[in-house]
Amino acid sequence: MNLDDALHTFIAESLELLQQMEEALLHIEQAPDDPDTINAIFRAAHTIKGSAGLFGLDGIVAFTHVAESVLDLVRAGRLHFTEELAALFLQVCDHIGVLVKRAAEHREPEDSVRQNGTHLLEWLNGLLDDDPARDATAQPPATCPAETTANVERAADTVGTDHWHISLRFGQDLLRNGMDPLAFVRYLATLGRVQHIVTLTDSLPGADDMDPESCYLGFEIAFRSDADKATLEDVFEFVRDDSLIRILPPHSRTAEYQQLIQALPEDDMRLGEILVRCGTLTEAELAEVLRSQAHDVPAAPVGQLLVEQGIVHPPVVEAALKKQQQAKENRQAANNLIRVDAGKLDQLIDLIGELIIAGAGASLVAQRAGNGELMEATALLSRLVEEVRDSALTLRMVQIGSTFNRFQRVVRDVAKELGKDIRLDISGGETELDKTLVEKIGDPLTHLVRNAMDHGIEPAEARLARGKPAQGLLRLNAYHESGSIVIEVADDGGGLNRERILRKAIERSLVAEGAALSDAEILNLIFEPGFSTAEQISNLSGRGVGMDVVKRNIAALRGSIELDSTEGLGTTVRIRLPLTLAIIDGFLVGVGNAAYVVPQDLVVECIELDCEGGHDYLNLRGEVLPFIRLRNLFDIEGAPPRRQNVVIVQFGGLRAGLVVDQLMGEFQTVIKPLGKVFGRIRGIGGFTILGSGEVALILDVAGLIQHLASQRHEAHPHTFLKESL
Amino acid sequence: MGQLIKADMRDLAAESRQYLTFTLGGEQFAVGTLCVKEIIEYGQVTAIPMMPPSIRGVINLRGAVVPVIDLGARFGGPVTAVGRRTCIVILEVQHAEGRQVLGVVVDAVNEVLEIAPADIEPPPAFGTHIRTDFILGMGKVGGRFVILLDIGRVLSVDELADLASAAQHADEQP
Repeated sequence: MNLDDALHTFIAESLELLQQMEEALLHIEQAPDDPDTINAIFRAAHTIKGSAGLFGLDGIVAFTHVAESVLDLVRAGRLHFTEELAALFLQVCDHIGVLVKRAAEHREPEDSVRQNGTHLLEWLNGLLDDDPARDATAQPPATCPAETTANVERAADTVGTDHWHISLRFGQDLLRNGMDPLAFVRYLATLGRVQHIVTLTDSLPGADDMDPESCYLGFEIAFRSDADKATLEDVFEFVRDDSLIRILPPHSRTAEYQQLIQALPEDDMRLGEILVRCGTLTEAELAEVLRSQAHDVPAAPVGQLLVEQGIVHPPVVEAALKKQQQAKENRQAANNLIRVDAGKLDQLIDLIGELIIAGAGASLVAQRAGNGELMEATALLSRLVEEVRDSALTLRMVQIGSTFNRFQRVVRDVAKELGKDIRLDISGGETELDKTLVEKIGDPLTHLVRNAMDHGIEPAEARLARGKPAQGLLRLNAYHESGSIVIEVADDGGGLNRERILRKAIERSLVAEGAALSDAEILNLIFEPGFSTAEQISNLSGRGVGMDVVKRNIAALRGSIELDSTEGLGTTVRIRLPLTLAIIDGFLVGVGNAAYVVPQDLVVECIELDCEGGHDYLNLRGEVLPFIRLRNLFDIEGAPPRRQNVVIVQFGGLRAGLVVDQLMGEFQTVIKPLGKVFGRIRGIGGFTILGSGEVALILDVAGLIQHLASQRHEAHPHTFLKESL
Repeated sequence: MGQLIKADMRDLAAESRQYLTFTLGGEQFAVGTLCVKEIIEYGQVTAIPMMPPSIRGVINLRGAVVPVIDLGARFGGPVTAVGRRTCIVILEVQHAEGRQVLGVVVDAVNEVLEIAPADIEPPPAFGTHIRTDFILGMGKVGGRFVILLDIGRVLSVDELADLASAAQHADEQP
């Protein structure tokens, strides 16, 4: 991996971490002081700083370091996550994001970014300076010339061994890694009481040899706490790897202290004295420890001691082991995820597409040959290929949750901007859809969300007047429904006023005066291009701004959009998208010599056409069903056969029939895009290759229906389409 | 596109290049061999409804769907009739957003020729049946002229897309 690749990984990871940080920050607005969330924020900042250091991105390191210091205060409980602080950190988060992106582009941040950074830094430093405990601890202990002992809250009744003993020997790189030894002690103090602390400066070299950037310190701490060993170990999570840390539980056996003393680098007698001074051991106990040590010939190697150390105190050890196991599993779970270039996945899916076509070809040959054994073999093969296809497609599937969560921020910011109190309710975040779709759905969704907040949800007074809670509610929901994914953006706002829409549509001559339109048709008018302009008339207007663009974007993804609105109660916009863009189950039909594929999800049923006369509708169990004669529509030559069939398709709320010559059955098919030449034609959604090697056209049923419907609309508004039940 | 043509002209001037010649409606045409991918027998063209005559349909070229253009119709003549020697020449053209593979129907493919720049005349202002901007030059081969086609222009993807969508609209609104 060259440095550039590594940098890419760093950038991807950092952006992910920032995303997590942002989510945690938004979460903390609701649940301040949640230690897990605070830790998550801290960890994100810390990891970014560490990785940025590797790449020499000093700007990021310097900025993140200050942010991290403030977070450390929060972690130590000396600063509370107020709303302002969370808001500040959201800006910090954004700023780090900008810095990372500039690093990705190998560019220096612009002046405006720098100014923003300076501004944020002043703010952060202000917080650091305000910290009352800072003055007392500002002097790093490394400058202490000799061993210092300090009595921190010594209480007379606690002398004895009923407290923890923690021995710390920090790695030399501690300071370089951006860690402060005192931070650990401070954090420890949040979990219990530091009864006694001895700072060891034994490894401090002479002034000439000393590197001021190295850490030479160690601590012996007598610590009283109800926390379990795992929690205490967690305190040192970031330095566990390169520091020597021993944590002895209360009432440990003398043998353990003996091992401790042996394991630590300092002189045994001196350590013993320190232990006594900490109140961990009494003189008598120390004597016992040292005596038993003398019996041990020769001292066991440190490694073995470490192992033995684990055997002595079973419950503690068990907990520690479990914790370790857990940490390991977590790490493994993280390792189980691999980053794959999306291009490679696409290539795989393309190949599987070829495989499906080849498989269909083989089945066809087998059928023609009439060889039973061969047919069985190809059937098995196609089943397996189908499974391979499904699992390959799941590789591209991602949960929509992360996209939804991004809207927490959007909603928060827009709500503040508008001066409204709006809560975002997210459900169905675990619903999966194709990665390309996720990427492309962001913009239309943002548009809809903003629209709903701006024009849908009323100001608090209006809401209260209508007997609704002052806090507006915006819901994002996703679920699977018959081979599509449905995404809902719902608000509990004022809803749409149908009369007003109709009036406006007539004004803009989108509809003829006096035309009778169904409710849904009226609502759908807001998706018409040119329905709305920048002119703002009421809380309704503006809703149409760019709605036609939203609709077009969704249509480009082979999806559809529909509206549901009750005046006074709110509006729900429903986006329906295919699960994937690559492969569909198709239903093959024939007209003349040509074969067409109708997406299987849309086919409701097939019936025989028994209709005389020139009209293009039939009676489907008492319901009027309009149909399209593909032969006429596509100008296919030749007379229709005596028997014709109708494929009944349903799309969104619309139902229609397609008249074809033959029904040729289900067919799994790879969608080949239309390409540049045919990109703009309507009624055809793509190409596919049949088992025979011939190209067939995939019908874009929605496009076909909508196009025809709009065309005939002016002439006969109601003969063509029927709103389905 | 302009640059591409200039580059083509420069190449033309610099050294002799190889051209694939083919017959269409009794006339000889040639295209630079660099953009020719392959030549296949005519067959299994799937027609696309509501398309102008110049867009013949699509074929399956080893799993890729390739549009097939009727050159005769594109030049304003009648649709090319399919005969024993009818072929599809698969060409690769460059456009603004990448490359596009297209097939063209020709009556017969003849040979690959080397034409020296000295033997290439500028296109006449009129007199040919086809649009002059389709012509890169007139090559002299054995006392006859072959029309060297500017494939980038003839198979301009944008223009073809316009043709396709325009034809559809005309068709749908009789």
